[in-house]
Amino acid sequence: MKDPKPSPRCTRILSLLPRFIENDFTPEESEEIRKHLEACASCREEYASMTRLLETLDALPAVGVPATFKDAVMRHIPNAEKGKKR
Amino acid sequence: MTPARVFTDAEIVEAVLKGDREAFGHLVERYQKGLVTYIYHMVHNYEEALELSQEVFVKAYESLGRYDGQYKFSTWLYKIAGNHAIDHLRRQKIPTTSIQEREEDPDLPDLALESATLNPQEAYQNKMLLVEVQKALSGLPPSYRQLILLRHFAFRSYEEMAKITGMPIGTVKNRIFRARQILMERLKDFR
Repeated sequence: MKDPKPSPRCTRILSLLPRFIENDFTPEESEEIRKHLEACASCREEYASMTRLLETLDALPAVGVPATFKDAVMRHIPNAEKGKKR
Repeated sequence: MTPARVFTDAEIVEAVLKGDREAFGHLVERYQKGLVTYIYHMVHNYEEALELSQEVFVKAYESLGRYDGQYKFSTWLYKIAGNHAIDHLRRQKIPTTSIQEREEDPDLPDLALESATLNPQEAYQNKMLLVEVQKALSGLPPSYRQLILLRHFAFRSYEEMAKITGMPIGTVKNRIFRARQILMERLKDFR
């Protein structure tokens, strides 16, 4: 069972994980986080969950578009040269 | 424009500005799927997403003369789309969670994450996670949801996201990190 209250050290590391995942730290800062993750199963689990969430977000499915969509758009755009100036 | 040749966005824009109205159809074909999906994940209603996307393309056509060619056309298009979707949500002022409706609509694509390497149980778990993620996403404030979609669906860089939303890069990063934390908290029971 997970400890409901993480230590201050874990709280700090957890708050840094989003930036760590984005490689937003110096190599030294990243190394500190990496070392903590190697030693702390609870933070490692949180890191794995966050990575999984990001993978799921990256795989958000595209919705289908009706074959008539383009024609519908083209029917609504004006024929005249409206507003097109450089 | 010659139908067989593949034109860049800049070439198509140039042609439209010179009066080739039909050339705009190439841009619609190129971006319709991404745009409809982006707006769908913003408003969580398929019919509205189609209607709003159509309006975005019409708006883009009408203001093409003001498009600044130093930016990617797609960045500009997503900016119009994001503003339009957020305006729409503001007008509605109602929660937009309708995953259930979507699941019951036979015309919409299956939400499952397909992978040849997953066994049926893993594939099922992934599908459930995706449904939960979409529910959690729909509960985010629209501006946070927009950033998540720009980053993870449209795969935009932080620089492009800043241009699209008009926020400084630092704010974009802070908000997207916060948005992910909110999603993690909301998905706690599911993990």
